[in-house]
Amino acid sequence: MPERSRVKYLFVLPGIIWVLCFTIFPLLYSLRLAFFHARLGKSETFIWLENFRRALFDDYRFWNSMGVTVFFVVCSVVCTVSLGLALALLFNRPLRGQRLFRALFTTPLFTAPIALGYLGLTIFHEQVGAVNTVLFALGIEHPPAWFSSIWPARIAIVLVDIWQWTPFCFLVLLAGLQALPDEIYEAAWLDTSSSWDIFRYITLPLLTPVLFTVSILRMVEAFKMLDIPFSMTSGGPGAATQTYSFYIYLTGLRNFNAGYASALAYILLFVMLLISLSFFNRLRQLYE
Amino acid sequence: MNNHLRRLLAALAVLTMVLALAAPQVVAAPPAQEPTEEAGLISGFPTTDPNEARTALEAFNKADKGQPDPAWKGKKFTIAVYSGGQRGPISGPLYFWRNKFEELTGATYDIVEIPFAELREKIFTDLQTGAGTYDVLINCSNYYGDYILNDWIIPIDQYFDDPRFPKWDRDSIAPAVARLMQWGDRWYGGNYDHDAQVLYYRRDIIEDPKWQEAFKEEMGYEMPVKMETWEEVLDIAKFFNKKDWNGDGDPDDGITLHLKVGGQGFFHFMALSAPYVVIPYPGDPPTKVTKYHNVYWFDPETMEPLINSPGHVRALEMLLALSKAGPPAMWGWSLGEAWADFLSGNAVLTFSWGDVGSLSQDPTQSVIQGKLGARGIPGTKYPYDREKGQFLELEKPNMVGNQVGCSWHPVISKYSKEPELAYYFIAWQSTPEINHWNVAYGWTGVDPGTTYDWFPPYGTAKVEEYVAGGYNADDAKYFIGAYQDNFYNYPIFQNYLRIPGTPEMQEIWDVHLSEAVTGQVSPQEALDRTYDDWVRIIEDYGKDTLLKLYQESIGYQP
Repeated sequence: MPERSRVKYLFVLPGIIWVLCFTIFPLLYSLRLAFFHARLGKSETFIWLENFRRALFDDYRFWNSMGVTVFFVVCSVVCTVSLGLALALLFNRPLRGQRLFRALFTTPLFTAPIALGYLGLTIFHEQVGAVNTVLFALGIEHPPAWFSSIWPARIAIVLVDIWQWTPFCFLVLLAGLQALPDEIYEAAWLDTSSSWDIFRYITLPLLTPVLFTVSILRMVEAFKMLDIPFSMTSGGPGAATQTYSFYIYLTGLRNFNAGYASALAYILLFVMLLISLSFFNRLRQLYE
Repeated sequence: MNNHLRRLLAALAVLTMVLALAAPQVVAAPPAQEPTEEAGLISGFPTTDPNEARTALEAFNKADKGQPDPAWKGKKFTIAVYSGGQRGPISGPLYFWRNKFEELTGATYDIVEIPFAELREKIFTDLQTGAGTYDVLINCSNYYGDYILNDWIIPIDQYFDDPRFPKWDRDSIAPAVARLMQWGDRWYGGNYDHDAQVLYYRRDIIEDPKWQEAFKEEMGYEMPVKMETWEEVLDIAKFFNKKDWNGDGDPDDGITLHLKVGGQGFFHFMALSAPYVVIPYPGDPPTKVTKYHNVYWFDPETMEPLINSPGHVRALEMLLALSKAGPPAMWGWSLGEAWADFLSGNAVLTFSWGDVGSLSQDPTQSVIQGKLGARGIPGTKYPYDREKGQFLELEKPNMVGNQVGCSWHPVISKYSKEPELAYYFIAWQSTPEINHWNVAYGWTGVDPGTTYDWFPPYGTAKVEEYVAGGYNADDAKYFIGAYQDNFYNYPIFQNYLRIPGTPEMQEIWDVHLSEAVTGQVSPQEALDRTYDDWVRIIEDYGKDTLLKLYQESIGYQP
């Protein structure tokens, strides 16, 4: 191989080293840990699949946190994508002050989730929060106990998450809408005057790849939800808002049970891979 | 003769040289200072209150300063502490005294504030990796098990007789708290904070004949103003709850608690449940630890958790009943919100740490100065006797003192690069004058626990010292009196859990208690879940290892 063509490998070497050090090594190391009884600072014992067995068959906290997470994922993804699509359709036409509104809508996206969580804490505070103050003013004597009842606490967290992530869906879907060719719409308007039909038979099918992409990205993000329940409810009341990532965090970083935390993390990775694959398979089927 | 004279002169010259060399060490400690004022500082203290600076300067001048080693000049070490802020609890005094430390030693320290929720993981990670980022750890006493098991901190006994270091009075510390600074016969920690929970109440309301009459009318018996048992406390809380007893036109609260997950609510349960669970040894001394007496956490012979014993379950039922005699929102409250409810005059009762006593004297946060009552934690006439397998019915309540909380205090990391300088700081902060000053000023979050904090006959403190710190004299008497009672007049004490894995156990316990309080599961079920989780943690750490450490930590002789 001439020396000149070998030089190109030199340029990709930093990238390869980076991926090996910061992606491949942690991935393999944590996979190894998942098969060990490993508490940081203590000797490790190989225990085969015991960590996985314990999680799946002998740990109600695993199933509780998985259930809580699935609830958050479903609610959050459905609401953020729907709202984002509605806003994108609204802004995909000439509007006065469009730039200002677009900038305002996207603000929560650039806020740290932990900060939004603390903001949520003040907004949903049961006695002095903005939401209950308004509800009191409207004559509701017993407004929801946002942090001390199970379902209100879950709803409050979902609302803050929706608030943060709707702008993301809005921006991506708006870009998708603006990329659709005008000619198809011009032709369609010759056949029908129904906006709903245009949306149903033209916009939605053409936008499907973008919708799938947004949904999968949101789903991955929602599965990792930690900051907002951490700052708003600390996972309570009880463990009613303890998400799966929160449980992994507690196991691994608070209680230093690295082996079990690794097994939990790999289960999450497996679940997310499964969902992603089925999504992409469905997408492929649609196009075939 | 001349030779003798010459030798004498030579000896005198040598002696003079030796003294001259030694002199800088002796005089290194600065002389007593007069108050001065600079921008943002008064007498070198970061305060705007001249009275605070004056009393601090007095304490500084009186405190032993040892003989700081000139070799320390220019050095620096790092302290990890719970993040209370520059004028906040526990971390505040570190900022307040730093300039004076620099004056004394020529050295300084960095303060790293860490939120409570992350404190353990940050400290343990530093120790596990041997990074040695922190020299001094202002730690929660329940970290000791992990420290000792992993050999992470160094004993400080070796420095006690070294003249370079200030002398501090270890005998003055309440024995229950002093034990938390030791493991076996070695000292590891310095004197700082002294935690216990006591019952606070509104003296002006409870002692008001009008309310006493109304109570009798409604409940059918005299108001038990002494509140010796939790059953009496519950009746009083129920009576006042939802009545407008503060005259603001709105219904007010009977009791206020912090029951949010992560809001340290399990400490409430710890203090409340002790008299239902811990019973004295029937022989002499009553404090003797046996399989059935003076134990709270585990069977000291088998390491089986006792957490779901009938006594614990009845105590949790009591906590549930109490939680219904206050605002429902408190099921989601942290410390600050529960305290604020009491300090803003909306609750008759609360039980918590000394912070409530000191914060009640801060007019910017409290409207109840001059109205504060306090007593040691109540008992019960119905404790559970595990040996007999039944609840007892006593004539006098079973009273159990507690040292619930963290009793924050400094220890030195094994990886410290400046252990001697770090110990100088610890010893200097532990001196009676400085420690007592910290106790007398409520914003420091340092709670009382030494003889120089108590009033005679238990100690040497004067009410005037607390009044100088902003206290109402009567409030100080009640507040300090409640702590004195807890530490010296209660016949037995609840064990303090500090084996490895303690924080993990308490975290899980906290979640299950919240499940019970918010009605997700029954008290029995919540404690059964805790039992199962604790068994798993014990197996994880190794039952035999933990049993040995547990026996050591509670003074059980097999």
